[in-house]
Amino acid sequence: MKKILITMTSVTYAMKAKKLLNAMGIYCEIERTPKIKGSGCGYSIRVKDPAAVTARLDKLGIPYKSVLEL
Amino acid sequence: MINFDNSAASFPKPASVSKAVYEAVSRFGGNPGRSGHKLSAAAAQKVFEVRSAAAEMFGAQVENVAFTLNCTYALNMAIKGLAKSGGNLVISDHEHNAVARPVYKLWKSRGIGFSVAATGENDDETLSNFDKLINEKTCAVVCTAASNVTGRIMPLKRLKKLCESRGVPLIADGAQGCGVLDLKVGADADIICASGHKGLYGPCATGLFITNGKYTPDTIIEGGTGATSAQLEQTGQLPEMLESGTLNTCAIIGLGEGIRFVKKQTPQRILAHERALCRQLERELENVRGVVFYEREYERVGVTAFNIGAMHSEEVAQKLADKGFALRGGLQCAAVTHTALKTKEQGVVRFSPSVFNTPQQVAALARTVRNLA
Repeated sequence: MKKILITMTSVTYAMKAKKLLNAMGIYCEIERTPKIKGSGCGYSIRVKDPAAVTARLDKLGIPYKSVLEL
Repeated sequence: MINFDNSAASFPKPASVSKAVYEAVSRFGGNPGRSGHKLSAAAAQKVFEVRSAAAEMFGAQVENVAFTLNCTYALNMAIKGLAKSGGNLVISDHEHNAVARPVYKLWKSRGIGFSVAATGENDDETLSNFDKLINEKTCAVVCTAASNVTGRIMPLKRLKKLCESRGVPLIADGAQGCGVLDLKVGADADIICASGHKGLYGPCATGLFITNGKYTPDTIIEGGTGATSAQLEQTGQLPEMLESGTLNTCAIIGLGEGIRFVKKQTPQRILAHERALCRQLERELENVRGVVFYEREYERVGVTAFNIGAMHSEEVAQKLADKGFALRGGLQCAAVTHTALKTKEQGVVRFSPSVFNTPQQVAALARTVRNLA
């Protein structure tokens, strides 16, 4: 099973996203972003349906960087 | 010792604050926002909860609340971060050195001008004085929510509207206003700088930088933020951009309990209690020969400034300390204010009660002051 991460711009936004998404019934967990060349460290939220989550994040005005499928 | 010096640091603290700090030291020792393991994540979660509570209190988005060491650090970040070469800053004549000194330093080191708006007999006059000084070069206006010397409340809401109409950010020094005045970013200022260890009843060396997100200051401290580590450029993302280095997790968790305490008591009730104690002291001393009060006629937070005849305020404060009462004499780190009050030589004795002080304690203080007069 693929692991899908939405990489976030900061730990605060990761936590804000988790809090608001969970309140909407969308389960997600915060994880450390795996090492990606040139990016340094950071935080991601692990999700099941990235399209639905990114649409929500856009609506909530929460910035994110990218969607990773591992 | 009975503490009437709560404008410097509120003490005692609510029992819930002490308990939270102890628990934090024992349980939340990971470095928040630095790693992915459970210890770090648990600490980060607690910090986020306090950030959220502060954001709610000040009407901000959670990401627009940064933790600082104290209000002075937050003010330095705001003032120096928004100052631009060739520009100028406007401050009131009731500012603490936390405002006056960074502004003076900017003038001395970078030639950034500043002007001081006199506080008038009424709010209209005060606003008119600000209005005259704001021009196309103004980078920011800085004004205290309430004087740390006399407690006088400044017309922040109207000043915010004035600044907005002139396209200038307003930075509020909330050191004495937070926890007793219902300050909100947006309505009262673009940036509110707060002390955590005064009216918010948190541990010493806690502070907040809160913004409406409209004006983001340049950073004055750079370093590790736990993200984008491969880049030499400091992250431009709030709040991390203003939080380089490890946060004081234990104190922040204690601050969270302080905020919870204030919300439960409500700022309105705390203010009413502190004002009642000030009125009591003033009533009990008003006919005592030689006792004078300062700015008593204005709307104030729970602070009373007084002197006894020509006796130096430090001497009075020392004599009161000898009798078991903690009050602050001297200039209260606010030379600009004392210049305006014409008390720079004598200073004033500042009485600043907290929610924990009682009328009986105030009566005992009044008796002692009468014996000194």
